[in-house]
Amino acid sequence: MGTIDPVIEIRNIHKSFGGFVAVDDFSLRVEPGEIVALLGRTGAGKSTVLNLVMGTIGPDQGSIRVAGFDPYAQFRELKGRIAVSFQTDRLLPWRTAVENAELGLLILGVPKAEARTRALAWLERVNLKGAQDKYVHELSGGMRQRVSLARALAVDPAIVFLDESFSQLDHATAGKLRRDFHRIAKEFGKTCLFVTHRIEDAIEIADRAIVLNPGARIVLTEEITPELRADPARVRACHARIAEAMGGEGEADDQESLAPVTAG
Amino acid sequence: MSDNLVATGRPPLRPVPARKASRRGSGQGDAVATLVVVAAMVIAMQIASGHVPDYIMPSPMSVLHATGDILFGDRMHVLVTLARLAAALAFSLVAGVIVGAIMGMVPLVRPFLRAIIVIDTGIPALSWMLIAVFWFKDTETRIFFILTVILLPFYAMNVYEGIRALPKDLVDMVESFRPSRWQMLRYMIMPHIVPYIFITTKSVVGYAIRMAVFAELVASAIGIGSRMSLAQSSFRIDQVFAWTFLLVILNIALQWGVSAIEKLFLKWRPEVAVR
Ligand SMILES: Nc1ncnc2c1ncn2[C@@H]1O[C@H](COP(=O)(O)OP(=O)(O)OP(=O)(O)O)[C@@H](O)[C@H]1O
Ligand SMILES: [Mg+2]
Repeated sequence: MGTIDPVIEIRNIHKSFGGFVAVDDFSLRVEPGEIVALLGRTGAGKSTVLNLVMGTIGPDQGSIRVAGFDPYAQFRELKGRIAVSFQTDRLLPWRTAVENAELGLLILGVPKAEARTRALAWLERVNLKGAQDKYVHELSGGMRQRVSLARALAVDPAIVFLDESFSQLDHATAGKLRRDFHRIAKEFGKTCLFVTHRIEDAIEIADRAIVLNPGARIVLTEEITPELRADPARVRACHARIAEAMGGEGEADDQESLAPVTAG
Repeated sequence: MSDNLVATGRPPLRPVPARKASRRGSGQGDAVATLVVVAAMVIAMQIASGHVPDYIMPSPMSVLHATGDILFGDRMHVLVTLARLAAALAFSLVAGVIVGAIMGMVPLVRPFLRAIIVIDTGIPALSWMLIAVFWFKDTETRIFFILTVILLPFYAMNVYEGIRALPKDLVDMVESFRPSRWQMLRYMIMPHIVPYIFITTKSVVGYAIRMAVFAELVASAIGIGSRMSLAQSSFRIDQVFAWTFLLVILNIALQWGVSAIEKLFLKWRPEVAVR
């Protein structure tokens, strides 16, 4: 205990819901400043792993340490150290865009005026300057997702959990946000565990991509170095390996993986 | 009650702001219909009053006169009743919200509080009125007690239901920032139960004013209820009608007032229309 190294340490966790095994013996180490992508088809258990690491639910077996703490048993110890951008926007409908973006800061005890300034800066960063005073029902789905991302990043956490944060955005916005996020994460040395089913998301920003099959079983781990990213041939090969591990759906897997699996 | 239909606390599924205009149209339709009904009642009164003695059916004119007299001479009594209503309603709201919140957040005491509420709501208002006369000497205390025991459970139950209906995904989101209990209350629970408080107030305010008048009839020398009792004992049916007329207006005004405040508080909620 006491050491903050590595930042996330997951050892042999299991989680079942009723009789259904959602996570079957999953282990992972994430080093400080590392960005790890979790990939996998729908239902693979990605969000469940994230919920376990965030401490929303506890594991049936195994242990989890985040910044040296058990996120479930020592729930409050992680205050200010982590932030989450969820798969759905989870905005509070009674708060405006900027009021939602500043929520985490207010909970951390940041003075009102400063929280507002920082939240506004983040809304600007995600291209939402003009929408700050709109209520949630007045925002489009993509705008909501961006507010949700701003809310997570505004608290400036050492550890960031992202669940499909770029998936519901159009290509241009997603690309820009992805690059922004990558730059910020690297600049400030943020540790990040992020869930996606888009392979290009993973290759573009992750240091390591991990592919899960149902039961959160790891079937592939890919190291993604800047050199690999710079070499289109290696990127294509990496993409193909991940796609194969995910079930052979390949690049068409932009939407939900509802299409039948076409092994190829 | 319309509780179940309305405040689910979350923005409804299908916001249709464009239909605001057509809604206002139906509002006008309501007003016209109300006018037609009132006019029909006035005409019926006029005709009936020509055929029966005055002490059975007063003419609309004499009721109007009596109403004028009341508005000039008896305004104080209206204010007294309203003040009593406001005090009891405000206290029941605050205390009911606290009780409901405790029920929602402290599982240990929940069954006990629920049992108390179930028993309380089973006791007829009349019993409370008689009991209040035995227990309390002071008129104001009696009326306050009667109204509170009747109104408080409504708030407690609805707030409890509201807390049970807290959306788990939003609670988890707030929890991901590791808030204190107070912060959870302030940022999540309180805003979420506001619609429940309003729906309760809207549904009890009409009942509350009737109960206030009734309690005054039993327990007080001032207020609308006592004036109505006086009108009855002095065979002034025109005044009974006038008071009744005023009570109906008062009820409508209160409902309207609560709705106006609600609009202010719940401006974040989209307008919905269900086809
Ligand atoms: N609270 C729960 N109760 C019961 N089953 C659950 C619960 N949470 C998750 N599951 C099940 O666990 C499995 C994994 O769910 P999870 O949400 O982790 O998938 P995912 O990989 O995030 O999928 P997606 O890409 O669609 O978000 C699913 O089969 C799901 O039905
Ligand atoms: Mg998921």
